[in-house]
Amino acid sequence: MITLRNLTKRYGELTAVDGLDLEVQPGKVTGFLGPNGAGKSTTMRMVVGLDLPTKGQALVGGRRYADLRWPLREVGALLDAKAVHPGRSVKAHLLALARSNRIPARRVDEVLETVGMGKVAKRRAGGLSLGMSQRFGIAAALLGDPPVLLFDEPVNGLDPDGVRWVRQLMRSLAAEGRTIFLSSHLMSEMQLTADQLVVIGRGRLITDVPMRELISGGSSVSVVCPDAAGLAALEARLPAARAVSLNELLVPGATPQQVGDLAYELGIRLHALRENEVSLEQKYMELTEHAVEYGATR
Amino acid sequence: MMLELRAAVAAEWTKLWSVRSTWGTLAASAVLMMMVSAQLGIAHENNNTNEITTDDFGVTTAGAIAIESFEMLQFVLFTAAILMVTGEYASRSIGWTLQAVPVRGRVLAAKALVIAPVMFVAGTAMCLLGALAAKPLLGDWGTLDGLAYDAFAMGVYSAAGGVLTVGLALVLRSTATTLTAMFVLLMLLPVLLSAAGSPAADAFPSIAGDHFMSGDTGEYPVLVALLIVLAWTTAAVLAGLRSLGTRDA
Repeated sequence: MITLRNLTKRYGELTAVDGLDLEVQPGKVTGFLGPNGAGKSTTMRMVVGLDLPTKGQALVGGRRYADLRWPLREVGALLDAKAVHPGRSVKAHLLALARSNRIPARRVDEVLETVGMGKVAKRRAGGLSLGMSQRFGIAAALLGDPPVLLFDEPVNGLDPDGVRWVRQLMRSLAAEGRTIFLSSHLMSEMQLTADQLVVIGRGRLITDVPMRELISGGSSVSVVCPDAAGLAALEARLPAARAVSLNELLVPGATPQQVGDLAYELGIRLHALRENEVSLEQKYMELTEHAVEYGATR
Repeated sequence: MMLELRAAVAAEWTKLWSVRSTWGTLAASAVLMMMVSAQLGIAHENNNTNEITTDDFGVTTAGAIAIESFEMLQFVLFTAAILMVTGEYASRSIGWTLQAVPVRGRVLAAKALVIAPVMFVAGTAMCLLGALAAKPLLGDWGTLDGLAYDAFAMGVYSAAGGVLTVGLALVLRSTATTLTAMFVLLMLLPVLLSAAGSPAADAFPSIAGDHFMSGDTGEYPVLVALLIVLAWTTAAVLAGLRSLGTRDA
């Protein structure tokens, strides 16, 4: 579990993280969302003690990161895939990390196999593509078999196969009871991966809700009917409905079954009946509407 | 030694030897040492045998020639210590180092405990290689007297200088800045000060190191020279520790 208490980071005048209170629970994938500059990376860096909080604290399993005896066995964090010495081999980098925390050397080969890099162990890290670097970083995070894992944008640069692999990996790590804290800008991917969503903007918490709750509210049904009379009859029976064009109705809060059964009962010809699920992207845009710091002019 | 520190030392050891720059700088130091010492050996022999009598210094030791060479190219050796730190900042892999070992003092201690013995061996070897290169060229004008002490002293000074460099690099973080600062500290300032006849030059680590290695200068005893070097080293380590502890990685 990761606990943030009034976590604050200021750089002179700029407040990057502003009094964040949060609990990231084990056994779930918690998605961490927010516009560029919202403070996601800074928050993650403070959790592992790379940046010092101006105020408040970040705890892992109730303890400060610096107080963990063998931190890589407690917390695995991939914060920056390219942050490795370009001249050092993949294997030597992992071996140094393993030795620093008294992790058996055979774990190095194990995690390299896990991420599909067994064959490139001798390659120098500087020659890896961004996608390979991400796999490499994930291997390093998994090295100590830690119960808490943080990933900052782990799917950047991965091919579709890699993206799907990361999704499955996150799901299975969470299923093993680990705490997974994951940031990404790929909304569709996040929608498939996360159980819980934490959204921040301008360093402040905007929301912390289960995914199901966030995207279930506001789903609707679209009905297309070629006959004006039929459309009017449907509209009369569905108080929430509103016409969006001459032959289409939008019915918030209804299910396709309800509308379909009603059309059958009234004997109305339909050309289309579909459910409009609210996408995470849509919800996210609404939530962060006022918190975008670096937006293009529209 | 406590287990955590031992593990941190093992990691630093692995990191040091798994990049080419370490091998490269050490090899370059050895080759340059032999070349410069050979050159100085020839010059010494030449000065003693040419018709000009004012430049005659008589019989010297091969160790003294090696020490003279070392003064000029100690940066090359210390570059290995600079890169041990700045290489991590340049690649941002310092993040992994601190994630693995979050106690800042332990990171610094581990780096110092690795670089000191490496530099000791390298410094000792450099003195022997330099003397080896100079001896045949000096002919009758050079002896091997006192070489054991010279080599030992060069090892000790190199170890202290390596730790000093690590401390300074932790403050400055960039390779170019640290190398420039080392050049100003070890070469430029003491040379300028002694040219101006200022006794302040004797307080600089490179001059004190020279007194310590040469062991025959009348400025101050060898032990005082060593203490001056160690005082600089301690100051740099404390500055490095402060920088690690108070600044974001």
